[in-house]
Amino acid sequence: MIKKSIALILMILLCTMAFSKKEIVFWNAWGGDEGKVLEDMIEEYNNLQDEVVVRSVFAPIGMGEKIMATLSGNTVPDVITVWDWMVVPLGFRGQILPLNEMLAKAGIDEEYYINGVWDYGFYKGRKYGLPTTLNVTAFMWNKGAFEEVGLDPETPPKNIEELDAYTEKLMKYRKNGKLKRLGFDPVISHIYCYVFGGKLWDPETGEITANDPGNIRAYEWLSSYYEKYDVKQKRIFQAGWGDVFSPLNPFLRGEVAMKEGSQWEILVAQKFAKPDFDYGISYFPAPEGGREDVCNVSGSFWVIPSASKNQEEAFEFMKWLTAPKQSAHFAAALYNIPPVKDALNDPAFTQIIDDKMQVYIDLLTNGYVYTFPMLPIGQTYLSEMTQALADVQLGNKTAKEALDYVQDRITEELSNY
Amino acid sequence: MNEYTLKVRKRTFKRESVLGVIFISPWIAGFLIFTLFPVLYSLYLSFTMTGEGGHLKWIGLDNYLRAFGERDFWLSIKNTLILSGIGIPIAQIMALMAAILLNVRMKYQGLFRTIFFLPSVVPAVATGLLWKWILNPRLGPINGFLEELGFSGPGWLIDPAWIKPSLILMSFWGIGGTMVIYLAGLQNIPDELYEAAELDGANSRQRLKSITLPMLRPVTLFNTIMGIITSFQSFTQVIIMLDMDGGIEKSGLVYGLYIYTNAFRDFKMGYASALSWVLLIITAVSIAITMKVFKDRDK
Repeated sequence: MIKKSIALILMILLCTMAFSKKEIVFWNAWGGDEGKVLEDMIEEYNNLQDEVVVRSVFAPIGMGEKIMATLSGNTVPDVITVWDWMVVPLGFRGQILPLNEMLAKAGIDEEYYINGVWDYGFYKGRKYGLPTTLNVTAFMWNKGAFEEVGLDPETPPKNIEELDAYTEKLMKYRKNGKLKRLGFDPVISHIYCYVFGGKLWDPETGEITANDPGNIRAYEWLSSYYEKYDVKQKRIFQAGWGDVFSPLNPFLRGEVAMKEGSQWEILVAQKFAKPDFDYGISYFPAPEGGREDVCNVSGSFWVIPSASKNQEEAFEFMKWLTAPKQSAHFAAALYNIPPVKDALNDPAFTQIIDDKMQVYIDLLTNGYVYTFPMLPIGQTYLSEMTQALADVQLGNKTAKEALDYVQDRITEELSNY
Repeated sequence: MNEYTLKVRKRTFKRESVLGVIFISPWIAGFLIFTLFPVLYSLYLSFTMTGEGGHLKWIGLDNYLRAFGERDFWLSIKNTLILSGIGIPIAQIMALMAAILLNVRMKYQGLFRTIFFLPSVVPAVATGLLWKWILNPRLGPINGFLEELGFSGPGWLIDPAWIKPSLILMSFWGIGGTMVIYLAGLQNIPDELYEAAELDGANSRQRLKSITLPMLRPVTLFNTIMGIITSFQSFTQVIIMLDMDGGIEKSGLVYGLYIYTNAFRDFKMGYASALSWVLLIITAVSIAITMKVFKDRDK
C-alpha cells in the first residue's frame, strides 16, 4: 500500500515536472498603483505565451544590499530591477549579463531608442541592461511668484545673469528676518557642470573629466550662492519642507520659486496643487558659451543576473516588457518617459502628454542628453565631486584645486579597473 | 570500583559524548557555515579586489595601505573617536545615576524601571526616525520649546557643528541596557558595608565614593567595554538621521557608515573587508587600553 502510494506520488511529480512551464522570477521594485500596472502586464505576458511563467516578487531596490547578497549566490532571480548607478559596477564585476549578443539577435540597436539613450548602461562596449523608463530633469518656475515680484510670469530666465537677478528678486523674508521663499535652489550640481559647457566624463573613452573648464566655472558659480545667501538659514528653512509626494510639497506651497524639476512632478502638481497655482517648465538657463539644451536623464534598469539559469527566456520577457506598447503603458503609469522611440507615439503614452510634458519630450529628443557616469566606481566619483563642491563653498580650496584633486584621485583609482 | 563498572562508565561516557555532539551539531554547523566561514572569508577578501568579470585579484596589503591614505578613513575614525570619547563616559554616568535612583525603595519602583528601560526596546530605525523629528530645527519639539522661551534653537542635524552633539544626545536615549546592568551590580553590594560605614559616620557622598563606586568597578569595566563595541559599530541611527555621507560636510561620517558606503554603494568589498578588520584591531586595542587603565587603578 505504502509502496504504491509512493510510486503514485513520484509519477505525479514526474508528470508535473515534465509538463510544467519554466518559471522566470522577476524582482519588481514598484508597489501601489504602479506595481499593479506592472502586475497586470506580467499577467498579460503569462497568458500570451506557453513557454514560461513569470512570477513577480516585490523587491524594492533600496541601497542594493539585498541585490548584492543575492547576486553572489547560485539561486538568483532571472530579471531584477536596479538603479542606473548600479548597472556598470555590477556588470563590470561579472554579476549581471552583457546583452550585446541577444540585442543584436533581436535586432534592437541605437535606432530603437530615443536620442543618446542607447549609450545608457554601456561600459567598454558592453551593454548591461535595459532602462525601464526615464526620468528627465528640467527647469521649473512658479508663475505666481514671478507675477508677485513684477517679473513676466510667462518668461523664464534666459541666461545665468538673469537667473541670478531673478533669484535675488524672488527671495522673500518674514518680518523677523527668517526665510519665507527661496528664489532658486541648485541641488543636482552636475547639471550645472553641463550647463556651463563642461562634462563629468567622456562616454566614448570612459575617461573622467572632473576638471573640465566648464565644471570649474560651474563650481565657482554654485559657490557664489553659498556666499550670497546664508546657508544655515536656508538649511533650517528646508528642514521644514514637507514630502514632495504630498500637499506639503515646497514648490506647490510657494516655498521655492525656481527649481530643478522632473516630469513626474506634473502628476504631483495635478494631485496636490491649489487651483490657482500655475507653473512653467523650460530648458535650463545657460551662460554664454554654455549648453542651452542640457538634459539630465536618470532612472532604473532591468538586468539579468549572470547566474540566472533562464537567460534566454528572461531576455525574451524583458524584450516584451520594453517593447513600445508596454513601455508606453508603464511610463504613463509612472509619469516617466519611455526610452523607446516608437513608444512616444503610442496612444497609451500620448494621452498623458500636455504642453508641460511636451517640454520634457522635446528636451529628451532634441537636447544634449547626459546620464550618470557609467563607470565601475561612478558613485565614488560623484561622492568626491560633492565633497569638492563643499571644499570650494567652505573656502578650503579654489574650484580648480578641488576639481584637479578629484581628477587625479579618480583617474588613479580607475586605473585599477 | 571494579573493572566492569569502569568499562560501563567509559562506554556510557562515550555514548553520551556522541549524543551530545549530535544534539549540538545543528548549532556547530550553523556556526561554521554562517559565522566562522564568513569571518574568515572576509579576511581573505580583505587582501583582494574584484576585477573585471568578478575575478578576485590578490593585491596583498594594498587595501590596508590604501586606507591610510584616504581622507575619509581618517575623518571617520576621528568622528567615531569623538562620539565615543564624549558619549561613552557621559552615558555611563547617566546610566549609573539612573540606576542609583531606581534602586531606592519606593512605590511603583518596577514601573519606573520599565519606563527607563523602554527606549532600549525601540528598534534602531524607529529611534532614528523619532529623533530626526525631535531634532528638526523648524518642526521639532525641542526647538519649538526653545522658541517659546525666546531662544533660537540650533540647527541640530543640518548644522555641521551640531551634528555630533545631536548624535551624542540621541545615544543617551539607549542607556537602558547599561542601567539594568548597573542596577544588578548595585544589588550585589552587601548592605553590611553601608551599615558599617553609616556607624562610622560616613555621609551619603562618602558612601558613594568609598563603597558604591569601588564595588561597581567590574560592572563599570564591563559596561565601558560594551559601550566601546556598540559605539564603534554605530550605524543604523546615523544613516537614518543623516545620509550615506554622514550629513553635511560629512560631520557624522562614522566608521560603520564608511564601511557600508564602500561595500554597498561603491561595491569595493575587498576594501570594506579590510576596513572591518581594521575596526576589529582598533576595538581590541581600545578595550586593552581600557582594561589596563582599570587594572592600574586597582593597584
